[in-house]
Order: sequence, then structure tokens, then C-alpha cells
Amino acid sequence: MRDEWQGFREGKWCDSIDVRDFIVANYTPYEGDASFLKGATDRTKKISVKLNALLAEEAKKGVLDVDTENVSSILTYAPGYVDKDLDIIVGLQTDAPLKRAVNPFAGIRMCEKACDAYGYKMSDKVRTEFKYRTTHNDGVFRVYTEEMRAARHVGVITGLPDAYARGRIIGDYRRIALYGMDYLIECKKRDKREYGMKDMSEENIRQLEELSKQLDFMEQLKTMAAQYGCDISRPARNAKEAVQWLYFGYLGAVKEQNGAANSIGRITTFLDIYFERDIKAGLLDESAAQEIIDDLVVKLRLVRHLRTPEYNDLFAGDPTWVTTSEGGVCEDGRPMVTKTSFRILQTLYNLGSSAEPNITVLWAQTLPQGFKDFCAKVSIDTDSIQYENDDVMRPAYGDDYAIACCVSAMKVGKQMQFFGARCNLAKVLLMALNGGKDEIYGIQVAPEGQIFDEGVLDYHKVLEAYKQYMSWMAKLYVNTLNVIHYMHDKYAYERLMMSLHDTDVDRLMAFGICGLSVLADSLSAIKYAKVTAIKDERGLITDFKTEGDFPKYGNDDDRVDSIAKWIVESFFEELKKTPTYRNAKHTLSILTITSNVVYGKKTGSTPDGRKRGEPFAPGANPMHGRDCEGALASLNSVAKLPYSCCRDGISNTFSITPDTLGENDADRVNKLTAMLDGYFIQDAHHLNVNVLNRQKLIDAMNDPTLYPNLTIRVSGYAVNFNKLNKNQQQEVINRTFHEKF
Amino acid sequence: MDTPRRGNIHSVESLAALDGKGIRYEVFFMGCPFRCAYCHNPDTWEGEGAMHPTAEELAVKIARYKPYFGKEGGVTLSGGEVLTQSAFACELIDLLHEKGINVALDTCGGAPLSGEVKRTLSSADMIILDLKFYDENGYKRYCRGDFNAVMNTLGFLEERDAYVWIRTVVVPGINDSEEEIAKYAEIVKKYSCVKRWQLLAFHTMGFAKYEKMGIPNPLEGTPALSKDRLEQLQRFADERLGEL
Repeated sequence: MRDEWQGFREGKWCDSIDVRDFIVANYTPYEGDASFLKGATDRTKKISVKLNALLAEEAKKGVLDVDTENVSSILTYAPGYVDKDLDIIVGLQTDAPLKRAVNPFAGIRMCEKACDAYGYKMSDKVRTEFKYRTTHNDGVFRVYTEEMRAARHVGVITGLPDAYARGRIIGDYRRIALYGMDYLIECKKRDKREYGMKDMSEENIRQLEELSKQLDFMEQLKTMAAQYGCDISRPARNAKEAVQWLYFGYLGAVKEQNGAANSIGRITTFLDIYFERDIKAGLLDESAAQEIIDDLVVKLRLVRHLRTPEYNDLFAGDPTWVTTSEGGVCEDGRPMVTKTSFRILQTLYNLGSSAEPNITVLWAQTLPQGFKDFCAKVSIDTDSIQYENDDVMRPAYGDDYAIACCVSAMKVGKQMQFFGARCNLAKVLLMALNGGKDEIYGIQVAPEGQIFDEGVLDYHKVLEAYKQYMSWMAKLYVNTLNVIHYMHDKYAYERLMMSLHDTDVDRLMAFGICGLSVLADSLSAIKYAKVTAIKDERGLITDFKTEGDFPKYGNDDDRVDSIAKWIVESFFEELKKTPTYRNAKHTLSILTITSNVVYGKKTGSTPDGRKRGEPFAPGANPMHGRDCEGALASLNSVAKLPYSCCRDGISNTFSITPDTLGENDADRVNKLTAMLDGYFIQDAHHLNVNVLNRQKLIDAMNDPTLYPNLTIRVSGYAVNFNKLNKNQQQEVINRTFHEKF
Repeated sequence: MDTPRRGNIHSVESLAALDGKGIRYEVFFMGCPFRCAYCHNPDTWEGEGAMHPTAEELAVKIARYKPYFGKEGGVTLSGGEVLTQSAFACELIDLLHEKGINVALDTCGGAPLSGEVKRTLSSADMIILDLKFYDENGYKRYCRGDFNAVMNTLGFLEERDAYVWIRTVVVPGINDSEEEIAKYAEIVKKYSCVKRWQLLAFHTMGFAKYEKMGIPNPLEGTPALSKDRLEQLQRFADERLGEL
């Protein structure tokens, strides 16, 4: 056994890369409450002041600074520090905190536009370098067909990662701490030799080239760490090194890649093993342990990418989705909650509430009550965490998966995802009524069909037409993603992140739906009420007269909830009919992030009574104001959507006023945990929880200086409310608040 | 075949966290014999509600929420006044009990103690009784209600050793002085079945309903009771009662 591993229980993990085996053999579940936690040390307080000052300045300017001279990579920048003397965990993306890097590999136009938007100019040097280079974006547009371009143009599929990096890949950064880079490099070299003995098929040649890219960046990461005075060729010796080694891996990844979501994985149960060992040996006390986690979180809060204003419409508030995954249950039945799971939650008190990292609690019915209570308390106090149901994910992904982005589960180091944004199924319905023409632009996007007559719509005829166009949509959507990910692998391959995966990795292709509640309610209106189609001067159906009442999604009413269920099941079946690039497994999410506002803007009036341009509900949420039996009825409707065909997640956001939730803090904690148990026992997947007053949001909208750190949960992530634009803020305020007099 | 009895229900609320223990599913019954000046649900006084379910239909609907109730939560029947439909309420409570669901009954206590009312009061797991005033005069003046009927109800609950919470709405200018709270306390003290006495602050959020319904609002212009004052009075009330 290696020196660095003294005190650890041996196992399979000693002979091959097997982080899960190491964790299961060595972690100590913690069943107690939060009383052991410690507050911020003086050092942490000092750093916190510095951090807040930097964030305030950035908020004023939009971006604090941009390095326009260099192209971002692992070794581009000299070491940077928040405070060289006080930093415990070191490493920044560039040479100064919050200075953003230019990363044009996925698309240079986005970079140029982003520089322009904040008053910077991309240097001629970068421009020249990329004149002779194909970006991912160039590659995609060489292949895109007319039909793909049209679908993208009208917004029936949008947010596609065809001009920016795809993200959602989680490197297994824990491997660096446990094994050291030299062993990992040795394993990859062995894999490369083995692949070299196979026939040189196109697939194997690609694999070999990728392995060579991986090895290149693994060496570079060692050099980067050495510049900070650390030798990561060997395993970490103690907790501080374990955190530092792991963070170096993550840091290298965000220097190399600017994907929409760069999540850090399931790290605290792993790290806790090191903390426990050091605490037992008397090397650390609780305060020192907390300080290390606090400082890691400071670094994670500083992660930034350079984005355009249009990008912010889709993903508002400058998110980076440094998602962490906490808790869950081990396959042997023990909860995977450790003291370090508590410590990372505690950072929300020690450093104040924050949108990042995106702390995700893997909820299970059998989690210790002490942990459930603390999570609920943190939710009530900070609105900064989200919940996902370990009891439905564990059977599909085992007990060493993590969440990428908002709701996407994947086995750490063993699965990767091809991110696929989402397609607008409400718009597909309008296309079906208009014979494949887009209701806004009036152009033919889908194959030409019969335009429905004016007059009362017949449910069965509408359904038949919808099915045909849904089938067309699914096929086009899969093929479009195939193009995108072929080119991303080719021109913007994640060298470092993929080096921290098994060489024979499983791939998931993550499709998405938006407009679920609008479509479900529209079909319900056509079925149960009287919906009259109205044509405009172009002869297209652009308005509806809806008479009579109809069941609305969000009231636990099977008549319409079964329609919502049918929509996701049938779309998923259609998607599976078209093969994917690299045989990725089809998965599906119901998640919008903040794009529900943009999608609404791009969609004409719908039969449910929603007018042209009005926002959709986010994720799988019922439409605002349509749930009339209260919060739990709304949760019950969402809980009916089957995770079995939405393995990439079903996002639901829940906002409640403190006075509605309970009489006092203890009462609120009890009720929130009961609510989460009740929701998740029905096999629901995800819940964002906000406990705040509507008036507070209105005040913050009118005067952003009142609550500079006001964090709220939105479709799958947390966001600083002040970073949303006015439309998005208004939409959040309009969204159903569960309140009672 | 007999036509099944149907309830006259104003509305339901699937998450009511304030009326009883734990997470409650609340059913608001139509109809009330009182006309409290500070009523915030005048739309439940009389007429037809939005739902007319059978007890069986309603129980099935409510059972969908059992996963949220945990050890403490359950259903709260409120209104309006539940006991104006005591036969329906009684049937519903029995069905909910069959499904293992705990039932709290929120009542003004003003219904005459008929056999059916007694049976309903006895079958609920918990009674939340609104003690609106401490004397006959107050009841007459502000509620058009009968103080003695309320006292009879409390007496019955004491006799049955029911589990009772008492609640009192405190309205500025009507009953918001220490002297008045002390008078309530004298009554509450006498009943060992009372496990909690909670003061509630009068608020003006029900005013819009009066306007919408076009009925005179007897307390128009009355301000809401502040949170601070409520807490002050609650502390005072707790002291007067000692340990309940």
C-alpha cells in the first residue's frame, strides 16, 4: 500500500481506478445534527470581505476584466490568487480573480460579441490564430441542412450547443487526489497501447487520437499544479491536499472548457474520508476542516466564463453550474451523508448565500433526520439549494453518480453526456395545425401538410396531426444533435475532463422538452372545452377562442395529468427511433433553465389561453395561476411524470412564503421535510425550494441595492435575483407563490 | 337507490400548514350561522360552493395527499362552519379514519348540540375552537352568535376529554387590550381539554372579498394588528394561563 494511503481500508481500489470502491470501504456516515459545525474563522472573514468587494465591483461593471490577448488553456496564465498569503486552496482561471478568459474553440463569433458587449475588443493575435483554425461552430454549420437551420431559426429547437461549448461533462476529479496523476497517466498509456493493437477502424483511430489529446493535457495539468508549488504526480497526503488536488483537476477543466455547465461532481463523501483521517490523527480540528471547505467554495464562487447578452437570455444570471451532489444512500443501505456534507452547506452561512456552487441534495427517505432538518433550515434561510430524489436515481445510476448542470445524473467517470438543450413542443402543436408552417415567421419549416380549417378543433384530428409532426420533430432533433456532437468531439474535445473518465465511457444523449404545461393544457382545452381556431390574413391559425372550463395541469387531475404523461412518453419513444452519434443512450429532460421566457416570446398564442409572447412555465411546472388547489396538488401533478422516460431530469420549482409554510422556524423545518418526503416518495424527481415573500422580490426589482445577495432558485439552478433582466424578474414574481391568508 | 349525500364545499387547499399540526389538507365548507365582523371568508357564509362531492369522492381525493402527512399531519375541516353540514362531515371523518388519516375540525362552536353535532365533535381527532369573545354581549354585537352555545360546546368537549386548541382573533379597537385578554384567559383556564390557546392577528386581506361581493364591510378602515403587538399579547396570554 502506498504511503499516502496509510490508515485507509484496502480494497479493489488499490489495484485499479475505482473511486467508488474506495469510498464505500472507507467513509463514515454521520447520523447526527448540525451542532458540531463551526462558523467562519478570522481568515475566512477577511477573504469573505475581499470576495464580496470583488463581486460588488463586478456587478457594477458587468464583467470585472477580460484578458483579450490570450486564448484560454491550462497553461496560458501565470498563477493567480485571491490573497497569496491567506489562500488555503490555490488556483484561479486566469491570473486575477474574476478576470475572464477568451475561449473561442467552440465558436469565435460568440467570443467577439461577448468582448464587444462589455466594451472590450478581442486582440488581433487571437483573431489571427483562429483564422487558420476550425471551431466547433464552423464545423456544425458546414453540415447543418436547410431544415435544421430553419428549425433553429424559428426557435422550435433552441439553445443548442452549436456556438458555445456543450458542458455537462463531469471529470472524476477525485481520481487525482486518490491516485496522483502519474498513475492515471500510466493507465491511459496502457489503454492507448491496447487500442493500438486493434484494427484501425475510424472509431478506433478517433479513440486513439482522443487518448493522445488526453495524455497531453494530463501532463499539462501537472505543470499547472507545479506552478502553484504542488506536486500532483503523487496522491494527496492529507485533507488539504486532497481538496487542492481535486480542485486543480476542476480548475484545469474550466480553463480548457467554457461549457454551459461545468459541474464538480460528488466530492464531499470522498473528501470526508481524508478529513476524518486528519481529525483522528489530531492534524485538524473542526474549525480548520471547515476553513478548508470554505476556501474551496470561495474558489468555486469565482468561476466565470465570457458570455454574450443573448446567451444570458437563455441562461440568466451568469451561471456556471458548479453543481455538487450531497447525501444519497449507498447501495449497501448506509446513508452517504458525512460531516463534510454538512460543512459544504455551512458555507452558505460562513460566506453568505450564493447561487454557486449549485448545491444539490440527493434526497432519500432513509437519510438521517438531522441532515434532512439541516437541509430544510438552509433552504428556508438561503433559498440556495435544490433537491433530487436519490431513491429514483440510484436504481438507474448506482450510488456514485453526480448531477451535472441542474438535473442530469451520470455515473462519475463512467458516463458522459451529449447535452441537447430542448425543443419546443408547444410550438410543434401550432405547426401541426398550420401544416408545418411556423406561426410567427409564416415560413414552411416542417413537411407541408393540411392547414386546419377555422372553427372548432376536433381533439382526435388535432392529436393525429400532432403525432405526425412530433415524429418529424424527434427525428430532426436527434440528427441535429448528432451533427453538433460529432463536431464538438472533433474541434472542441474535452481533453482534460475525458482523461478523468474511463477510456470506454458510456455516452448519454440528453434531449429536452419545453412547453410541457402549455401543450398539456392546450390539448386538455381542445378535448374538454370548446376551442375555436382563428386564422390571420396569411391564412395561418394564430389565435384561439376557448369557451368553457377544462382540467388544468397542476391540480392533481388525472384527466390532464395523463395527457402530460403521454406527451413525454410518446416523445421519448419517437426520439429512440433515430440512432445517435457514438451509440449514445437517449435520455430526456423537462427543464428550461430561464429559457421559458425566451421560448414564450417565440411562440404564438396557444389553445390554453396563453397569448403570443407570454412566458411558458419553467421546467415541468404547471402554468402560473392555473393551480387552484394549492401547492401539494401542483406537486402531485408533477410527480406523475415518469422518471423512467425522463432520465435526464424533471425540474420543478416551488416558491412559498414563510408564513404559509409554518408558524416559526422549527415548525417550517418540520413541514418542509415532511413535504419533501411526501413528494419524493411518489417517485418525483426534482424540487427547487424558495421560501420568501413576493414583496421582497418586488422591492429587490425596484432597488437592487437592497438585497445584493438575494438568491433564488429557478428551474434547476440558483441565481442572484439582481442578475436577471426585468422580464425574467417579472416572470419570477408572477409565478405562483403559494401563500395563504 | 338512495342518492348519496353531497357536501357543499367552497374550496380545498392542499397545503395548509397553519391550521393544526403538521401538513394539513384543508376543506372549506359552505355555510355559517355567525356573521363575525372580522370574518375574512365572507364568501363562505351562504350559497353554493364550487364543489359538491360525495364524502367518498372527497376522501379519495384527500387520500392522494397521505404521503405528505407524516406522523402529525392530516386533514383540517374548516369553513364556513363545518357543523352546518355535520352529517356530511361525520361521514367524511369516518371515511378518512378508515384510510388512517387524522382529522382536525375547525369550528366556531356555535351549533346547537344535536346528536349529530355531538357525534361529529367526538369523532374528530382534534378540535380547533374559535373563541371569539368572552361574553354574551361580544358575541351578540360582533358575531350575531350565541355565547352560551359556545360554552356548551366547550363543556361537551371537556366532558369527552377531547384534544382542543382555542384560537382568538385579536382586532384593534375591539379586543386588543390586556384587560380583555385577561377575561378570555379566565374562561380558557377552566378547561383542561384545551392544550393550546393561540391569538391570531386581524388582517385586512379579506377586505377585497367584501368589495367583490358588494356587501358592507363592518370593519372598513380598521388597521391590521401588528406582529409585535400580537407577540406581546400572546406572551401576556401565556402568562395568564401558566402551563396549560
